[in-house]
Amino acid sequence: MSAIIEIRNITKEFKVLNRREGLKGSLKDLFSRDYKTVRAVDNISMTIEQGEIVGYLGPNGAGKSTTIKMMTGVLEPTSGEILVGGNVPYQNRTRNAQEIGVVFGQRSQLWWALPLVESFKILKDIYQIPDADYEDMLSLYRSLVDIEPLLHKPVRQMSLGQRTLSDILAAFLHNPKIVFLDEPTIGLDVSMKSKIRTLIHALNQKKNTTVILTTHDMGDVDALCHRIVIIDKGKMLYDNDIEHLKSFFGSYRTLRLRIDGDLKAQAEIIGKEIPECSVSADEEWISVLVDEEKAKVIDVLAKLQKTHRIKDMQLMEISTEEVIKKIYEEGVK
Amino acid sequence: MKKRGFHFYFRIYCKIMAQDIKSKMSYRADFIISTIGMIFTNIAGFISFWILFRNFPSIDGWTYYEMLFLYGFSLISLTPVQCLFDNNWSLRQNVYSGDFIKYCFRPINTFFYYQSEIFDIKGLGQLAFGIGTLIYAWCNIGLGFSALMLLKLLVFLITASLIMIALQNTAAATCFWIQNSFYVLDLANRFRDYAKYPITIFSPVFRFFFTFVFPIAFIAYYPSLVLLRPDDVPVLSWISPLFGIAFFWLSYKIWMHGASQYSGTGS
Repeated sequence: MSAIIEIRNITKEFKVLNRREGLKGSLKDLFSRDYKTVRAVDNISMTIEQGEIVGYLGPNGAGKSTTIKMMTGVLEPTSGEILVGGNVPYQNRTRNAQEIGVVFGQRSQLWWALPLVESFKILKDIYQIPDADYEDMLSLYRSLVDIEPLLHKPVRQMSLGQRTLSDILAAFLHNPKIVFLDEPTIGLDVSMKSKIRTLIHALNQKKNTTVILTTHDMGDVDALCHRIVIIDKGKMLYDNDIEHLKSFFGSYRTLRLRIDGDLKAQAEIIGKEIPECSVSADEEWISVLVDEEKAKVIDVLAKLQKTHRIKDMQLMEISTEEVIKKIYEEGVK
Repeated sequence: MKKRGFHFYFRIYCKIMAQDIKSKMSYRADFIISTIGMIFTNIAGFISFWILFRNFPSIDGWTYYEMLFLYGFSLISLTPVQCLFDNNWSLRQNVYSGDFIKYCFRPINTFFYYQSEIFDIKGLGQLAFGIGTLIYAWCNIGLGFSALMLLKLLVFLITASLIMIALQNTAAATCFWIQNSFYVLDLANRFRDYAKYPITIFSPVFRFFFTFVFPIAFIAYYPSLVLLRPDDVPVLSWISPLFGIAFFWLSYKIWMHGASQYSGTGS
């Protein structure tokens, strides 16, 4: 494995006009401009290996898009270094573009009025894809998804799901080293989401393409990514394996119990019996949050079974979604 | 990776254009109506011109046929900007909505890629109109015909087209810096209408303005002098091809500079 993307201490600052309020304020803005500097990306470093699928996460406005724009060469970093496949993206935008594929949000990059196959042919010329490679790619596509109904349909007439699928296929067509996917499953139904995840996974496996995936859907992350990078307010919060993420926050599991009597009162009693866990209650369940490093769920259950009559129980794993939510809300301690 | 030279761009352009025309033809009603609209616009322009000259036999020493010559000349030189650079009109919308970013991800020239997307076939009707008017005026003035004259005509038509394109590129590119650049583009388009008139009819202030600040006098007036008044050609006419090339190059640079500064919208 070798590094395909190397980012060292990049920072991106924007000058933003301090807007004053109201009509009077707008008039003042016309004459005296008062700028402030906003740091969208703050000293981020990472190395990404060829063939990885990296989930790039963060709440809205965290600086994800800005980072991706720097990697694709649209923006120049204020300071720091980026190498994408050995190129400095901003300086060699054209050469960089040959090595990458981009699917940006819900904006189709295909020719709106053209059937997909005609778009493919133009892309074949633009990227100078040899005939044999082009045919190979198309037959690979055929083996992965049912593209025949798509090929002769103008992009304009496609459903959102079909369009996203087409955009992803178009982004992989010239066999780029890296593909940037910005929220590829946004607004799609469950079956289309899973279709697209399967496709991305298969293309990554077959072509060893590096995939940088931005998403708010933890289903995408769980299905595709081994590694995730989380940023917020321009700063990097986390960069490691997804398994590590869960243990990083303690291996918590929640035991939910249904017991006779007043749940609130019972919860207090239980809380005293097992002081190592935090206990809470709602209308139906008593929730016992168990930190697996301090106590085993099975021991807790055995202990409680002696003193209470348990009518029903559930055991819940903490989901990636909850962990991420916790990071967004609290940051990494 | 092979080098992307002129041949490469030409081939891609033809392919995209062919596809674009094919897809437009498939909307028959749309195509027919817009063609009819174009014909009527031109007829209306022609009629107002004709009415004007019913009342004034000549304007500042320019006869009806000479004016018609200018009119035809400017219509022809309008064709390239209409056919090939029509996407400039959508630039503002694309920049504002953030869709422009897709043009930044391809390994080809951004300006080329953007302009190649639209080929406005209606411009060809305008071309036919212009050629008809020019030939009609040419015969009635009795200019005669020689290979050299045809060469001059071609050179100066290209000059005029380059200036038209340059004006539109520059006006459109303002949207990279100004939010409401539609007015700039619209203004440029309106000023272009004055290109059909001999510049001598304007006051000295406007003459200076239309020559050096907003150079529409180079679109039809200065080039036409070479053919219409061969004995008395000002220096400005002879240097207008150079001026056209320089202005086009400058407008391209401004456009590309704007595009390279583009950072998109949040997503």
